Amino acid sequence: MNVEIAALTRRFGRTQAVAGVDLEAGPGVFGLLGPNGAGKTTLLRMLATVIPPSSGRLRLLGRDPGGYGGRRQIRRRLGYLPQNLGYYPGFTVAEFVEYFALLKEMPPGRVPGAVAAAVERVDLGDKARAKLRTLSGGMLRRAGIAQAIVNEPDLLLLDEPTAGLDPEQRVAFRALLRDLGQEATVVVSTHLVEDVGAACTEVALMDAGRIVFHGTPAELTARAEGTDAAGDAPLERGYSAVLAAARATGGVRA
Amino acid sequence: MTAATAPARPAPRARALPSPAGPARLLRIELRRSAMLWLLPLLAVLFYISAYRPAMDNPPFWNIRSAMLQSHAMLVLAPLLAGAGAWTGSRDGRRGMADLIGMTAAPRWAGQLAAWAAATIWAEALYLAGVAVLYGVTADQGAWGGPLWWPVAVGAATVAASIALGFAAGTCLPGRFTAGLAAVAVFLALAGGAFAIQDNAVYAQIWPLNVQGPFPSDSYGIFYPYLPDLAIAQVIFLAGLAAVALGALGLRARAGGRWLRGAAAAVTAAGLVAAGTGTALAGTARLTPHGMVIRALHDAASDRPVPYTPVCSRGGIPVCLQPAYRAYLPAVTAALAPALEEVAGLPGAPVRITQVAVTSVQKDPSNGISFGGAVLSGSPPLVYLPFSGLTLPGEGGTTTADFTLPLRSQVAAPVLNALVGLAGNQGLRGGGPQGIVVGGPPQSSQGTMAQLAVAAALAKVAGLLSPAPPGARTRPGGAVLPGARGGASPGTGTERAAFQRFAALPAAARHAWLVTHLASLRAGRITLSEIP
Repeated sequence: MNVEIAALTRRFGRTQAVAGVDLEAGPGVFGLLGPNGAGKTTLLRMLATVIPPSSGRLRLLGRDPGGYGGRRQIRRRLGYLPQNLGYYPGFTVAEFVEYFALLKEMPPGRVPGAVAAAVERVDLGDKARAKLRTLSGGMLRRAGIAQAIVNEPDLLLLDEPTAGLDPEQRVAFRALLRDLGQEATVVVSTHLVEDVGAACTEVALMDAGRIVFHGTPAELTARAEGTDAAGDAPLERGYSAVLAAARATGGVRA
Repeated sequence: MTAATAPARPAPRARALPSPAGPARLLRIELRRSAMLWLLPLLAVLFYISAYRPAMDNPPFWNIRSAMLQSHAMLVLAPLLAGAGAWTGSRDGRRGMADLIGMTAAPRWAGQLAAWAAATIWAEALYLAGVAVLYGVTADQGAWGGPLWWPVAVGAATVAASIALGFAAGTCLPGRFTAGLAAVAVFLALAGGAFAIQDNAVYAQIWPLNVQGPFPSDSYGIFYPYLPDLAIAQVIFLAGLAAVALGALGLRARAGGRWLRGAAAAVTAAGLVAAGTGTALAGTARLTPHGMVIRALHDAASDRPVPYTPVCSRGGIPVCLQPAYRAYLPAVTAALAPALEEVAGLPGAPVRITQVAVTSVQKDPSNGISFGGAVLSGSPPLVYLPFSGLTLPGEGGTTTADFTLPLRSQVAAPVLNALVGLAGNQGLRGGGPQGIVVGGPPQSSQGTMAQLAVAAALAKVAGLLSPAPPGARTRPGGAVLPGARGGASPGTGTERAAFQRFAALPAAARHAWLVTHLASLRAGRITLSEIP
């Protein structure tokens, strides 16, 4: 298992952002759904080793990120796209991706090829020499994805990766996710349930810091059967049904 | 996005240890995209205004020009560089990069050092390019000797330390106002150093703009080697400051692992020790005739004068200058000629005027220093002439006349006093911009008054007497009485008559009388009435 989580919590002062999450994930695309404030981003930041958990057990890629040595090993094999992508406006796309390849301690000899491949995979090959400040929001998002995948990570964490992408790019991105998920564990946090339905092999639904559903997209869709849950698509109705049930039962995991 | 065309995923690979080429590539990217690049044109303009143009307004002396690279340039550049450093350091915070940077494997400290190094490399490159141009032009202008590198080293260390301090401030307080605040703070620190050094605070000698304490420029690097003692202490201090600022960044919890934070702690501690050592060393600096000496750093070989062959004028009494002042020999010779022609060939007249270093140093209560003027001594007599209190032509808009007027009275006064046998506090006084003034004790003897009348007459025919302002109490010939001598009596009619008679003599007759009567005049045996 690339991700092993048990009773994981995270507090920010009096706010309990993640309230006891148990999760295991191996290779494949793992969708993380939930309403705003459910704790998805906090969970992803803990998985990305940006912040430590307040309590609970966390193992990533078979290592404990609590120690510096283990954390450094994990980070070399990690890719992360934060929800709010910061960037250096004066860098070109290629420089931005190369910069993070080097910070991820890729062997320098492999960096140029990896950068070119990552930039091509997000369809920014013709913009490789363009400054980031000249890119549209969608292109910036793709540049962010390129830096996340440049080291061919074994654990890829994507927070709202399709935000700002046009439909064509979103379809292409789902294909990329499926490809990446063949060997790596890809955790995708999103509001867009159609992304989950199209690309994810597993899905978890978070609400109020807890996982209230864990299963396949088909199982989530099935939760809507026999209910009058709102939604335009079957998966959306499943999502609504699980949330409604969880809130009715006080957040007990389904 | 092209999953189908993506290259095949390689087999699981063994991770190698980080290669040293990684930081080099990181630095290359930072060099290409450093914010300092945008500032280079502004820095170049400021360097031109603060250092190059003032340097070119001064005569081509290596010591004057190099001092401007340390003091003038840094006063203007260092605050701006600190601001640029703060802007670079606050980059991750301003750009919302904390999460993305915070999850990379490389120690955060390494990335920060790369960004600082890139900014510093560009700033140093510009500074050194400016130094190269300034020194190249100075060499082309035929400056004597060679360039002085210690002021450049202090300037370069100030550049690195300013950026490091700003960078640390920007990293710890990543706001958009941090850059401006850092610039103001560094400027105030430099300005505060100026006040501290004027207040006689010994440790303030470490102030990076302090070149050689309150020394005139010809006291170092021309007659004597440039003493690097203070500069070494300053470089140690500045390197320490930079190490503290950068090391402190590595102490932060997210900077890296235990080993790296230990290294950062060692760097910080070494920086503190260095900064403290530099300051302590500066506190032991003392003013010597050749510059600031710090005993622990001093090389006694630096106390030996720089050997040189003087450049001399031709004439009865040659004027010899240090070759760095070759350009001024015609002006100095012309300025001294009238007085020297009056005394040439007379017994007791000087055989040569020799320029010497301004070495008679005394600290005065206001932490300034005073310097002796021209001195006539030895047998045969020589005039030892320091250019003390004199501003060279071309320095700060000084004209040749501004330089030669005080110079010739500074030389003529002791020469004429010695010639007629007057003690220094009794006779003519030179060095003022208006020429020689005539002194004398309140109740002078006949012999002294005769000596004074003859000396004043010689000064008059040489065109060196200061004219008397209307209503001033005067000595012979209308020369001004020194203001300090409140009790001095005005020149008497007899005294004035003798002075006028002697000054009116033909030069040959005056010379012949002096040849015959100089010994008696010196002995005080000549009365006013005996003066032809």
